[in-house]
Amino acid sequence: MDITMRRAAVAQFKVEMLRTLRNRRFVFFTIIMPIAFYFIFTSSMDSEMQVGGIDWSAYYLMSMAAYGVAGSGIMTLSQKFSKERSQGWARLLKITPLPSWAFVVSKVAAQAVINLFMIIILFIVAATVKGVDLSSSLWIESGLWIWFGSFSFMAIGTLVGTVRNADVVQVVGMIVYMSMSLLGGLWTPTETMSSTMQVIAHAMPTYWLGYEARNLIGGGTFDWMGVLVLGAYVIGAVILSSYIMKKQEAV
Amino acid sequence: MKEAAIELRNVSKIFKGKKAVDNLSLTIERGSVVALLGPNGAGKTTTVSLILGLLQPTNGSVKLLGDDPQHRKVRDRIGAMLQDVSVIDSLTVAETINLFRHYYEKPLSLEQLLTISGLAEEKNKMATALSGGQKRRLGFAMAAAGDPEVLFLDEPTVGMDVTSRQLFWDTVKAMADKGRTIVLTTHYLEEADQIADRIIVINGGRLVADGTPSEVKATALGRTIAFTAGDGVTNERLRTIPGIAETEWSGRRVKLFSNNTDQLIVELVQRGIPMKDIEIQSGGLEEAFRTLVSSLQE
Repeated sequence: MDITMRRAAVAQFKVEMLRTLRNRRFVFFTIIMPIAFYFIFTSSMDSEMQVGGIDWSAYYLMSMAAYGVAGSGIMTLSQKFSKERSQGWARLLKITPLPSWAFVVSKVAAQAVINLFMIIILFIVAATVKGVDLSSSLWIESGLWIWFGSFSFMAIGTLVGTVRNADVVQVVGMIVYMSMSLLGGLWTPTETMSSTMQVIAHAMPTYWLGYEARNLIGGGTFDWMGVLVLGAYVIGAVILSSYIMKKQEAV
Repeated sequence: MKEAAIELRNVSKIFKGKKAVDNLSLTIERGSVVALLGPNGAGKTTTVSLILGLLQPTNGSVKLLGDDPQHRKVRDRIGAMLQDVSVIDSLTVAETINLFRHYYEKPLSLEQLLTISGLAEEKNKMATALSGGQKRRLGFAMAAAGDPEVLFLDEPTVGMDVTSRQLFWDTVKAMADKGRTIVLTTHYLEEADQIADRIIVINGGRLVADGTPSEVKATALGRTIAFTAGDGVTNERLRTIPGIAETEWSGRRVKLFSNNTDQLIVELVQRGIPMKDIEIQSGGLEEAFRTLVSSLQE
């Protein structure tokens, strides 16, 4: 990669970060809302309560971190991709020297960096305000897992972003995000769900994102099933969205 | 000798069985200012998209600065204002321009770009908060960011007010004077007449006329006969007379477009068409253009 190519990609990456952080909807849904939910649902419960052998305040922290990065990936990327393709920016960028891979990579990379900070902020808030006490290796392992898992939701966001209409994409993104969060047990523990709902939950990427993090802090062995399910969503979303985009571009 | 800026050889583009561009061949020399003219759906934007490599030709070859338009080295030396491109959200004017400056090897300075687009005062405004005309000027700054050798302007002044338009053409002229190649499409014919040193008329995806503005006018001999029509003169009756390319009515006043008004006036008199207040005009570009386009449709 030559210097100008790198300079262009880096500039694009910085701009994508800036754009995401300036988006009020993003800040509300994926930073403020998970923190607020975390406080509401940990304060209304008995502080000594445990779910699945883990303190509720740690259990719900993992759920809310998962909830935050899922929204960050699905909502932000779907809107960026949809808007930029329908409003002609994608076409305009094609005639600039910005390499075509940089269009996608800069957005994913920017979102990944933001996700990492989101996880760290949430962890710091939980540790300092709610006194969640984990060993440093567990903080790092669970945080890294949620961060890696967040790429799966960026892939889903890319797929939702193939919807061209700006209003429709927002609604579709919200439906996918909320239903996945609900069904995957990020709001209420799957332990309290009926057996049918539990079967559905196990098919959700959100379930595995939260489950694996809680599994790690509960001292369980790493369950490769989580990697498999999240990986399958990435592959499925990438194949499907590139197929749809090819169809849309073929005139 | 330097290679031509743009070279199209027997280029066709077929969309769903319909020919948008039909066997088009043309060469645009470096440093020329070329206007592509044609009615809506004539194939102007398709032609520009083919030259830019945004579309692949069904047949024929396209060369931009002697190379494949999709080549990165080529893209570093061109810039374009496309139609239907909005501005990027959540960025200020200066940030948007700076982003584009980073794409190119030898960009113009931010100050220069703000000056030529007339957006110096708006530099810290969000791009989405600009007016329609200001957004088009921002599009121009983005197109000019890399100090392009070839600049494409697809209907650039749509949405610009009179002042914006004047500043815009002054800037384009200054770029042309520096030896830049400029390709523009417009349906404001006076603009093409003023700025271009070559006009290419396209209709139905084919080249209809090609030359300097005066040559195009001369070949078309776009002349008009206008008169107040007496009783019994109908459009149907006029259309039976040979040599009339197009008719235009406003009330009882009728304007006939023809490439031979001398013969036509004789014809009209011989046929005893009742006429009052006859005016014969040698056409501007507008008339030339309409004569060309309608003669092709017949």
